[in-house]
Amino acid sequence: MLKKSDSSNPSLLRRLLRNRSGTAGLILVTLYLIIGVLGAVGVTPYPSLEQHARDRLKPPSVQYALGTDLFGRDVASRLMEGAANSLRVALLSVAISASFGTLVGTTAGYVGGRFDNIMMRVMDVFFALPALLMALVIVSILGPGINTTVLAIAIVYTPIFARVARGPVLSVKEMEFVLASRCLGTSDARIIARHILPNTLAPLIVQVSLALSWSLLTEAGLSFLGLGTQPPTPSWGVMLSESRGIAEMAPWLMLFPAVAIVLGVLSFNLLGDGLRDVLDPRLRGQKG
Amino acid sequence: MIRYLAQRAIAFIPTLLGVSILIFGAIRLVPGNAIVAMLGTEAGMLTETQRQSLEVYFGLDKPPVEQYFNWLGGVVRGDLGLSVRHGQPVLDVILARFPVTLQLALMAVTIALAVGIPIGILSAVKHNSIIDLLGRVLSLLGLAVPNFLLGTLIIYVLSVYFRILPNSGDYVAFAENPGRNLSQMIFPAFTLGFSFSASVMRTTRSAMLEVLGQDYMRTARSKGLNEGTVIRRHALRNALIPVITIVGVEMGYLLGGTVIIEEIFALPGIGRLVFNAISQRDYALIQGITLFIAFNFVIINLAADLIYTAVDPRISYA
Amino acid sequence: MRKVLLICLLLSLFTFGLASAQDDSNVLIMARAADTTGLDPHTQTAFASFRLLELIYEPLVNLDAELNVVPSLAESWEFSDDAQTLTFHLRQGVTFHNGAEFTAEDVVASFERILNEETGAAARANYLSIASIDTPDDFTVIFNLSEPDVPLLAALATTNAAVVDSADIESGDVATVANGTGPFALESWVPEETTMLTANPNWWGEGPFVDGIDIRIIPDETSILAALRAGTIDFALMNDPLVATLLSGDPTIVLNTVPGIAYHVLQLRSIDPPLDQLEVRQAISCAIDRQEVLDVASLGEGVVTGPLTMEAFALPTEELFCYEKDLDRARELMAQAGMEEGFTLDVIAANAEPPTALSEAQSIQAQLAEINIAVEIESLELSVYVDRWLAGDFQAAIALNGGRPDPYTMYARYWQSTGNLNNVAGYSDDTLDELMASGRSETDPQARYDIFAQFQRHLTEQAPWVWLYAGYEYTAQQPYVTGFVPNPTDSILGLAAVQLDR
Repeated sequence: MLKKSDSSNPSLLRRLLRNRSGTAGLILVTLYLIIGVLGAVGVTPYPSLEQHARDRLKPPSVQYALGTDLFGRDVASRLMEGAANSLRVALLSVAISASFGTLVGTTAGYVGGRFDNIMMRVMDVFFALPALLMALVIVSILGPGINTTVLAIAIVYTPIFARVARGPVLSVKEMEFVLASRCLGTSDARIIARHILPNTLAPLIVQVSLALSWSLLTEAGLSFLGLGTQPPTPSWGVMLSESRGIAEMAPWLMLFPAVAIVLGVLSFNLLGDGLRDVLDPRLRGQKG
Repeated sequence: MIRYLAQRAIAFIPTLLGVSILIFGAIRLVPGNAIVAMLGTEAGMLTETQRQSLEVYFGLDKPPVEQYFNWLGGVVRGDLGLSVRHGQPVLDVILARFPVTLQLALMAVTIALAVGIPIGILSAVKHNSIIDLLGRVLSLLGLAVPNFLLGTLIIYVLSVYFRILPNSGDYVAFAENPGRNLSQMIFPAFTLGFSFSASVMRTTRSAMLEVLGQDYMRTARSKGLNEGTVIRRHALRNALIPVITIVGVEMGYLLGGTVIIEEIFALPGIGRLVFNAISQRDYALIQGITLFIAFNFVIINLAADLIYTAVDPRISYA
Repeated sequence: MRKVLLICLLLSLFTFGLASAQDDSNVLIMARAADTTGLDPHTQTAFASFRLLELIYEPLVNLDAELNVVPSLAESWEFSDDAQTLTFHLRQGVTFHNGAEFTAEDVVASFERILNEETGAAARANYLSIASIDTPDDFTVIFNLSEPDVPLLAALATTNAAVVDSADIESGDVATVANGTGPFALESWVPEETTMLTANPNWWGEGPFVDGIDIRIIPDETSILAALRAGTIDFALMNDPLVATLLSGDPTIVLNTVPGIAYHVLQLRSIDPPLDQLEVRQAISCAIDRQEVLDVASLGEGVVTGPLTMEAFALPTEELFCYEKDLDRARELMAQAGMEEGFTLDVIAANAEPPTALSEAQSIQAQLAEINIAVEIESLELSVYVDRWLAGDFQAAIALNGGRPDPYTMYARYWQSTGNLNNVAGYSDDTLDELMASGRSETDPQARYDIFAQFQRHLTEQAPWVWLYAGYEYTAQQPYVTGFVPNPTDSILGLAAVQLDR
């Protein structure tokens, strides 16, 4: 059953807080955001690029809560700024792919016919290539760096959003209330904004939180291949891949970024689960 | 049925063409060139005449559009061109490595299904029990661990604590020595299958939950069928459809090669091939591989369609 | 029940698979991270290429572990007093892997090929003094030189000057046949995967004592480390000092460490402002604590070095310009150049080539920040890096350059204004040209030492490049592998003498 809009229900936040996964995800994501913002504005124990020549490869201690790396940089500070950078990559890439994908998917589905066909074929072209391969090619063209990483991930996820957005449009646009407003002469743009989008919102929101978790992993993968965020700028992926050679000597260098990534991905997944439970009408009421 | 398949297959041709044009255009924007990449730091030693003759040899001297159509003409005849790096026909190079990737993908998916489906069913049937909770925690972790981290840890544990490493760059084909081959493939397959098993589990669980709440399940139960039969005969069949969908997507992704896992486990698959081809600017090879990957994607989509009809009697393409 | 059986079957297959991984054959299993870029010995330039081709092909002379020139295909040689004629007496009874006999004709054909510009031979520039080649008999070769050229002899000790079969040159097959005279012959090669070598039973030297070498490319060095620990490989080439040092604490694996002559360097292109100002370059040199770069990037595994890394020519670093970090002086120099405000320096580094490149760049970045130079690190894929480097399209670059036993051969291409890479180096002056010219013709060893000492002092003072350190060359092996002698040039020709006592 499709709703015209969700405004009649209690607020999304309140419903989310009634859901176990949702609550856990929300708390973790908030925590992550706080750490990221602190890292971004530079409220860290040490400047994240400051090298302490005499304190190289120090294990966690009172002075350096999570130890120091090869350059004598404070791991905790780098993790905080890394949170900001990983978050930036994830948020930006998902924002781009979600808005662009939704635009393509919605208009294609709404306009239909040949336009739909062509647009979705174009999306298929991008979808038919594995994400990492696309990212590799894009990075080779533009050179590695944080913006390229964003773009690469955004391009890869756009077709997914286009598909997710298009599905509901196809069914909603044939429904009575849409046909009715059409007869009343409402403009297409208005119909899309007022009637179509609210109905595609639920799957899109769920998709966004999942895509955020994937893009964290993709960023880490690209960094592993040396194609992601570039040193010395910290990101969790960079820190994790930098640590591979010396993790035996200094296990904390691998442990903390790994935990950070796992928790980061976990929190977005939990939030996504919660949102799905709350927003997907078919599953509502089945969960305790 | 056949007609439907034929239609679907034809509809994929534009996709394949699109992929080839996209990649063809994209790699020509890539800085660095194959000849220099092949010769290394001192290609400056290369004389102009020599560079030209190499370019003629690899067909790099013509304008891009002409290069593209020459290439396309070759593709139609089953000729994907010549790899600069390997000095062999691209198709041969690809086909020599594809079995590794295919086997890896099949094993990973098998492991994921073998682990994910039972746990998913159990979680759904014993909804909100300890098993359900454990299953969910495990699946969340599975999704959250980057596979290169898991791979690194597995290799570390194997080599330091067990003093074994089945594959040390000496990959053996299954046909040659099945036992050896399986021992080499099992760890990378597990690494890949681990996170996918989490997806399978989650999908199975939610699909099962949905199906178990349906009216016909209540009817089946009220007929007096025992719970096991109800689940096997009625619920599972329907719950499997979304699982097939994600298996299709995952296979498409895995057949594109898994660069990182192949690098870490030193497996000679498509992923490593494409990674090296890109860094060495081996144009013909990059084009060939991407087309090949897109082709696989198309085949898998068709296969998924066929399997739907087999599993779900409601769908038919008569 | 069926399931149990299946599991048993799988397990047995599995253990069988593992068991058969250990065999007692006399083939050395060797792993490395990068593969050769080709099979033509004359055109290869990558370190990874030499590590294969030096086992297959042989030059007239070789270098021993002390970098002395020793016989290879030539048994003996003599320089005329005026250093204008170099006569080689060739080894007799040597055959190529295809069975053809090695004679003076092959030497002539090989050098004609190397000197032919069309070939694109990597070391051609080092042999331009060869005016003509005489062959009084089948086993004597006389190089007539257009000018005195003392460094020529050592310059011949490279795979880039290997002697190939004249018949292969004629048929144009040099790049594909891999037909050499070396201790091992190429049996098969799958790029980026495996290379099989078989022992050459007719090799003139002692050995080889193994039946062959099975070379495997394992792209990830931590996986090579794992394979060594698991005992599935016998021998490995290691590039990453971070990974190699992990082995030094492992009692079950032998790590061979030898000070290398390749050098890590920060190249400054003095052509464009502000690096065209001497003071700016000097300030950079003074502001960098080279030991710290070494400590960070290679965990201290190496030595801080001037331009010349080989023992016979290296100077104590105290004699070189500003080898002690001196921030006051650096700031003063910046002020003299009117650059107190600093500037942005763009540094290119190849991703993972060498593995230490990005660490070096980051250490330098932090250090130069102290004199207001903001370093922007551009990490590039190797092929893009090479492209831009050759085109001189960079402001500064982190590089690892190979060393040579003779200073002239090592630097003529960079610091002689006629050198083929002088344009990339981006700096030349008359002093350097004169020193290079006299270093080339001087025959007295002490006089040569003095010339090149002056060369080093002048070069470090002009600071077109900032020499950082020379690292170690690493190989690792199982304890049952014996007889390998590592070489400062990183050559693995020592594998010819290796024995396996599993």
